[in-house]
Amino acid sequence: MEFLNLSLGQFLALFGTVAAFSVALYLLDRTRRKQIVSTLRFWVEPGKAAPVTRRTRIQQPFSLLLQLLGMALLLLAIAQFQFGGRRNARRDHVLILDTSAWMGAALPNRSDLTLMDQARANALGWLRAVPTADRVLLVRADALATPATSWELDRRNTARAILESQPGATALNLSQSLQFASQMQRRSGSLPGEIVYDGPGRISTRESNNMSLPEIPAFRVLSVDDNVANSGLRSVGASRSATDTGTWDVVVRARNYSTQPKSVQVTLNFGNVPQGARTLELPPAGEKEASFEVHTRAAGVLEARLYPKDAFAADNYAALELPELRSLHVVIYSNQPEELRPAFASDSRVVADFRRTADYRAEPAGLVVLHRFRPAINPTGNVLWIDPPADNSPVPVRERVDHPEGLRWTPDQPLTLGLRARDVQLDTASIFQPGPNDIRLAEVDKGPIMVASVSPDGRNRNVVLGFDPFAGPMRYELATPLLLANVLRWVAPDVFRDVDVGTQSAGAVSMPFASDPGGVQVLTDSGVNLPYSVRNKTLEFFAGQPSRVRVIAGNSERVYSLTLPEMWDVKWTPPANVRRGIPAWNDALRRNRDWWPFLAILGTGVLLAEWVLYGRFSPLRIRAVKQRLEKAA
Amino acid sequence: MPPHEALLDREFLERLERLTIHWQRSFAGLVGGHNRSHFAGGGQEFLDHRHFHQGDDLRAVNWRAYMRLDKMFLKMFQIEPRVPVRLLLDTSASMAAGNGEKFKFARQLAAALCYVGLVRLDTIQVLPFASRLHEGKSSGGGRHRYRLAAEFLEALQPGGITDFFAVVRQYLNEYPQRGLVIVVSDFLDESGCEKALQFLADYGNELMLVQLWSDEDRTPPWSGEIDLTDAESGGHLRIQVDAEARRGYTEAFDLFSAGIKEVALRNEGKYAGLPTSMPLEDAIFGSMVRARSLV
Repeated sequence: MEFLNLSLGQFLALFGTVAAFSVALYLLDRTRRKQIVSTLRFWVEPGKAAPVTRRTRIQQPFSLLLQLLGMALLLLAIAQFQFGGRRNARRDHVLILDTSAWMGAALPNRSDLTLMDQARANALGWLRAVPTADRVLLVRADALATPATSWELDRRNTARAILESQPGATALNLSQSLQFASQMQRRSGSLPGEIVYDGPGRISTRESNNMSLPEIPAFRVLSVDDNVANSGLRSVGASRSATDTGTWDVVVRARNYSTQPKSVQVTLNFGNVPQGARTLELPPAGEKEASFEVHTRAAGVLEARLYPKDAFAADNYAALELPELRSLHVVIYSNQPEELRPAFASDSRVVADFRRTADYRAEPAGLVVLHRFRPAINPTGNVLWIDPPADNSPVPVRERVDHPEGLRWTPDQPLTLGLRARDVQLDTASIFQPGPNDIRLAEVDKGPIMVASVSPDGRNRNVVLGFDPFAGPMRYELATPLLLANVLRWVAPDVFRDVDVGTQSAGAVSMPFASDPGGVQVLTDSGVNLPYSVRNKTLEFFAGQPSRVRVIAGNSERVYSLTLPEMWDVKWTPPANVRRGIPAWNDALRRNRDWWPFLAILGTGVLLAEWVLYGRFSPLRIRAVKQRLEKAA
Repeated sequence: MPPHEALLDREFLERLERLTIHWQRSFAGLVGGHNRSHFAGGGQEFLDHRHFHQGDDLRAVNWRAYMRLDKMFLKMFQIEPRVPVRLLLDTSASMAAGNGEKFKFARQLAAALCYVGLVRLDTIQVLPFASRLHEGKSSGGGRHRYRLAAEFLEALQPGGITDFFAVVRQYLNEYPQRGLVIVVSDFLDESGCEKALQFLADYGNELMLVQLWSDEDRTPPWSGEIDLTDAESGGHLRIQVDAEARRGYTEAFDLFSAGIKEVALRNEGKYAGLPTSMPLEDAIFGSMVRARSLV
């Protein structure tokens, strides 16, 4: 037995005061009164003496008892009387409010209300049925379970948090939310109450296949009717065309979430200029792709739209930013430009400027190639030395050899990536005497024939080839263009990086990955590194909010605009033994362990009954007197 | 009642002008009344013939009959005598018991009857009484005399013990002329009032008994232990009042009222029982008109 608001002493003192006051008023009201009347003759029956009454202090003891009982009940209600201790009386409930992206869809037949509105109404209805002594923890559930409140006794805080809940960008991870709720209940220290899931229960196929619900003794589901037809964009991807670097190959994927086949139209705009439209016949619960080509070298926004509009508008539109196609300005000083021209002209990202060695000017460029030539003034910036003169080499030449043997490429260097040929024949080569900061890239039996160096500030890079790959039999080898491509990528990695742009849903993102995991960067727009994992040649990371994420791995870069909502695949069916819906009023009363409402009602009822039965101005008495008066009249 | 507070307002007085105090018996009196009498006299309506006697008024001789029959017959006409109306108003202490509503109601009723009589050119005499008759006020000659009667009523003060027998005896001694006697009282006389009223009727007076009671007089609202004091005698009675006692009290009161009514009806008089909770207008235009006290 416990009083939540008053101690036992306070209660007894208060009740004693009120009872004493009530008894005093009662005795004052019921004491003998003097009355002057017109006659006494009718009070005395003929033939009998006047009645002599014994003075009694309490005329209507039942009235006094009723008054005291009513006031005692009301005081008990004020004191919030309870049986048992407070710890045993209180239970902790967890309300899991679905805030997945799908909750932004409109209700069936109610375009002005969303599933989130319905879920909020359900949550508030359930909250009203929770006993006031119990605590409630609100958890917002999408891909992550996030507690929105602490264990709250104040229903207003919980209701405010419910009303402030908004649909997110990710899909529901129900298992994680239920496990989180169960864990929080175990740690609360009080008796576990209900775990309530409020939402339509749309989950992904991956979660459906691996679903493992924790053991929940009191599990309630507040279902939300989401039987609406929806189709939406699943992803939009753009990559440089393999045949034309000025063209983007765009693939738009759409899905039909309803059980009926649907015909949709996908339109594509770039910079507000229509790029095309495709009509897709989507099977029930199926996906289809539409391909587009966008010819541009400029940067801009690519927009994909899906028609007709449906109940869930968030996945009917996607936009991604296409980057500008950059190029590298290469100035080549050579007296045999015809030997070099095919190699440099093969890549459209290279703008080659061939000049005679006599026309040399030390002016800046993206890359300066000096073919068998060393000027009086070394160029600034990135320089590719091809077979420099042995007596005037930027790297000291130890000796000059003909038909060197045992050519081998230094592994694990970006400049020698993919070079495996060991039987390449060189007519002649210079054996370098590299410095301590020079990187050896290729060697023959007598020493290094290719070195590279980086300036101390890291801005300028030099590559020195002790041989001419564009002369002799090597010009027909595959190693020559590969070596040149490696040099170009090394000096200007941003220009030659393969860029893929895509838009897909937020949440858990997976992408195939075959590069070295050590060189991966997953960056947000603000440059913050996102945590990621590489498993089974798949890179995975998580973005809880719509954002743009860049994944840089070696020579490739993928830019993800995670603006599409993460959608569901299947509808979760609750187990048969769960409680469903908002508790009925009698159920809420049955579960209610608060006595004070009943005590208050009972106390008020007792006082009302006392007034009706014994009150001087009670309606029963007034009506009886009125009837007598009317009869007399 | 404060002097400035009028017993009846002007609108109510105007409504009273269509009423007439009515009695059934024939009384001898001065010509000029409005109630017909079986006594012959100088009225306008023919009543009968009789033989002429010496001293009769020659103007009443039927000369046509004399010429035809050679006998003198006298034409008799029905008279409408002006009979004095006397109103006995109880001013005993019992009329002021409780909150004094009964006394106020009695004076208002007396004032209304005075006005009705004055409008019909009746002569109405208000005689307050308790243990004896007090000095009364006679009013007649038209409605403009109402002011004097009202002032007289307003000045009355309750007090004294009711003694109907002494009052009736005094009345019969002082007012031997028979007529209509209106008694406005609660008739609460410890020694009983029935015999005195019967005595009054036996002397040829027509009785109009108006019994007044307050709600407390008939249905006492009290419960519990009460010390009752008689307003007139000062006697005390300590009693335990409950629903049964109240019911018995009301039955005894109704029996008493029935006795008063029986006295009136037995003597061809009229009776009206009026609770003070009833509006005065309803009492006059309802209960008293139904009792044929006023027409």
